[in-house]
Amino acid sequence: MESTLEQHLDDTMKNPAIVGVLCTDQQGHILGCRGSLSDEHGGVVSVLVRQAASLTRDPTDSPTVCLESDLGNILVRAHGTHHSSCS
Amino acid sequence: MGCCYSSESETTEQDPDERKPLIPHPNPDSKPLNGTEWSSASVPSARTDEQALLTSILTKTALNIIDVSAADSQGMEQHEYMDKARQYSTKLALLSNSLSQKKPLPLPSLTSQPHQVLDLVPDLDVQQVSKIAAYAYSAISQIKVDAKEELVVKFAIP
Repeated sequence: MESTLEQHLDDTMKNPAIVGVLCTDQQGHILGCRGSLSDEHGGVVSVLVRQAASLTRDPTDSPTVCLESDLGNILVRAHGTHHSSCS
Repeated sequence: MGCCYSSESETTEQDPDERKPLIPHPNPDSKPLNGTEWSSASVPSARTDEQALLTSILTKTALNIIDVSAADSQGMEQHEYMDKARQYSTKLALLSNSLSQKKPLPLPSLTSQPHQVLDLVPDLDVQQVSKIAAYAYSAISQIKVDAKEELVVKFAIP
């Protein structure tokens, strides 16, 4: 039943501008990852999104966190109860 | 030992009573059964051997057990208890003074105008990530618990 998610992650990686993708649940448990993002990044990523969400009162407004570096950007976003991050 | 600021070395300024155990060892002079006691039993039958082994285990355990409920409660008297409490709190106060001086360094601030320094994230990227997140969410919703059999069964002994 996880094949849809796995396929989706593979499809995402086909984009040449994306070098890594990671998907976690609300607690930071890794549901899937590819490329430059791996297991150890799950906790940090989920916490960042949770903290960012507390910046706004609107529960439907899900912010996208962007970490900039000279090697590229990491964008993290929550949807429903899950967080995805792409770098 | 197991807590902060403790050490194995007994410094002279420390009150030796500080580390005195509260529940005294029940039989400090007991010696463990050694080989000589075994050799005195000359060629016993297997049954007696087992019996002796069993009693030795029992006596060893009885010597090592500290029965907190039945022990003769030579507890501390009220004034001793208050004394000790006062001693510990003054020591703590002394230590906390020296500990509180360690403050974490604040992060350096590089600029007062971050919106000029940081690049604008292209809208397309943000939209793309939203789409990816939405797809991932729907893909994950397919992961469900597939209950095949009863979780709780009766434990039957044939």
